[in-house]
Amino acid sequence: MGEKRFMKGNEAIAEAAVRGGCRFFAGYPITPQNEIPEYFSWRLPEVGGAYVQGESEIASVNMVYGAAAMGTRAMTSSSGPGISLKAEGISYLAAAALPAVIVNISRGGPGLGSIQPAQSDYLQATKALGHGGFHAMVFAPNSAQEAVDVLYDAWDYAERDRNPVLVLMDGCLGNIMEEVELPPMKELKDEDLPEWSLTRRNGRDWQGNITPIYTELILEGINAAAGDMYKDWEENDVKVEEFMLEDAEYVVVAYGIASRVAKEAILNLREKGFKVGMIRPITLFPFPKKSIKNLDYGKVKGVIDIEMTIPAQMRDDITLQVMERCPVYEYGRSGGCLLDDEGVYEAIYEIVSGGE
Amino acid sequence: MKQSFVFSGSGGQGIMSAGITLAQAAIDMGKHATYLPEYGPEQRGGSAKCTVVISDEPIISPLPKFCDNLIVMNELAFAKYGEDVKEGGILLSNACRIADPGEPENVTVISAPVDDLALEVGNPKTANIILIGILIGATDIVSEDAFRLSLEEKFKAKKPEILEMNLRALAKGLEIGKKYKK
Repeated sequence: MGEKRFMKGNEAIAEAAVRGGCRFFAGYPITPQNEIPEYFSWRLPEVGGAYVQGESEIASVNMVYGAAAMGTRAMTSSSGPGISLKAEGISYLAAAALPAVIVNISRGGPGLGSIQPAQSDYLQATKALGHGGFHAMVFAPNSAQEAVDVLYDAWDYAERDRNPVLVLMDGCLGNIMEEVELPPMKELKDEDLPEWSLTRRNGRDWQGNITPIYTELILEGINAAAGDMYKDWEENDVKVEEFMLEDAEYVVVAYGIASRVAKEAILNLREKGFKVGMIRPITLFPFPKKSIKNLDYGKVKGVIDIEMTIPAQMRDDITLQVMERCPVYEYGRSGGCLLDDEGVYEAIYEIVSGGE
Repeated sequence: MKQSFVFSGSGGQGIMSAGITLAQAAIDMGKHATYLPEYGPEQRGGSAKCTVVISDEPIISPLPKFCDNLIVMNELAFAKYGEDVKEGGILLSNACRIADPGEPENVTVISAPVDDLALEVGNPKTANIILIGILIGATDIVSEDAFRLSLEEKFKAKKPEILEMNLRALAKGLEIGKKYKK
C-alpha cells in the first residue's frame, strides 16, 4: 500500500514527478498551475534536485533542454499561453531526441484567454506542439490519482523514446483536491544514466554531442524514424477506458474532466433505460482509433463528443474513425465556464431520446 | 450517501477554507471527498466559490450544478447561485449580508448572522467554522466528535486560545444547525 494523502491535483503532479525521478524543474508562473512550481520549489531541494524560476517560459524550457542533455529527469509546466511560448523549445527537445516532461494545465483560450479551466489545447497538444511536424505522447489523466500514475512513469516513456512527453490536464483537475495514493520513490543510480547523456558524473568520459540541427539526408532519416515510432505508439501504447460499450446505442467520447461529468450522466441515463456508453482516451496521442473504429455500428446510432471547449477539438479525430457510419454530435462549455452534471445529462438526453 | 456543498461569497470570507476543512474532516472519517475551488483574478473581494462532494463511494463527477447544501455569504453569491439548491436541500444564508433569502419550495432555509456571530466569538476569521458547525448540526455528513478532533489536530501547534476560539465557533454553529435537524 502506498501513502494516502488528500492533495491538490497540481501538488500531486509535482510529488509524483519527484517520486518518478524528476530532479530538475524550471518554469514561469501562470494560473491555474502555480502550485506545481511552488511545490517543486521546496520539494526538489529536499531530494538533492534543483528548482529554477526562469526569467521567462522560453528560458525555462531551454534550461530543461540543458538538464535533459545531462541525463537528468527534467520537467517544466505551464498553461496554454505559456506552452505556446515554450513551443520552440519543445520542438528543439524533439529534434535533439531529449526526454523531458511538459505539463499543461489548460485554461480558456485563445490568447491570454481566461484564468478559469478549459480543455482548449487539444489541437495544440496533439497536432502541433511546435514547428516541424513532430509529436509527443500526450497523456490526459482524469483525476489526481491518475495524474500521479502518469507522472510517475512519464520519464520511462520519454527515455525509452528519447522524446518529450506531454501531460494535458485542465484547471479543474489542477485545482481539485482529492485522495491520492503515492507510490514509493524510484531510486535512480548514476549507472542508470542514459548512455547518450553528456554528463561526466560517475567518472564517465565525454559522450559526444547533442544537436537540434542536421544535414538534409540525416534529417530525413530522423523524420522517418520518428514516423515509425509514432506507428509503434499506435500499436503498443494506446491507453483507453471503455465503459459500458457492450450494448451501447450511443457512445460518448470524452477525456479528462469532461469524462467524469459524462460518466455521472451516463450512469443516470442508464437508470432511465438509455443504452449509453463511453470511450475515454487516456492517451490523446496515440489516439484510441481502434476503439472508435471497431464499434458495432449495427447497434451504435450516434457518437457524442463532449469537451470543455467550443467548438469541440477532438471531433475530427473521432469523425475519421466513425467514417460516416453514424452521426457525430458535440456538446461543450467554453471560455472558463465549466461543464456540470445537469448540463451534460440534458445534452446527452436530448440526443438519445430523439426528442421524446 | 452522497452530499454536495457549494460555498459561495467573496474572497476573504473564508469560503475556500470552509470547503477544505469540511472535505478534510470527511476524509479523516474515512469517507471520499472532492474539493474544487473557483475564483476570479482578484486577491481580495472578488467572487469565490468552492464545490465539495462527500460520499461513502468513490466520487465520479466533482461538478454538480445543483447541490444539496448551498452556502451563500453575500448578495452577489445569492443572486448568482441562489436557485442552485436541490429540493430537500439546505440554503444557508448569511443574514448580515443577505436581507431576504426567500422561501424556496422544499428547501430548508437557515438564515444566520454569520458575520456577527464570528465577531462575538472573537474573530471574523471564525466564520468558516461557524458555517461548518451549522451544517454538521443540520445534517449527518460529518460527526461532531470527529470534526472536533480534526480541529484539535489542526490547531495543536498554535496557542491554546486559538483552538478554544474555534471550538466556541463550532459550538455556536452546532447550536443553530441542530434546530433544523430532520
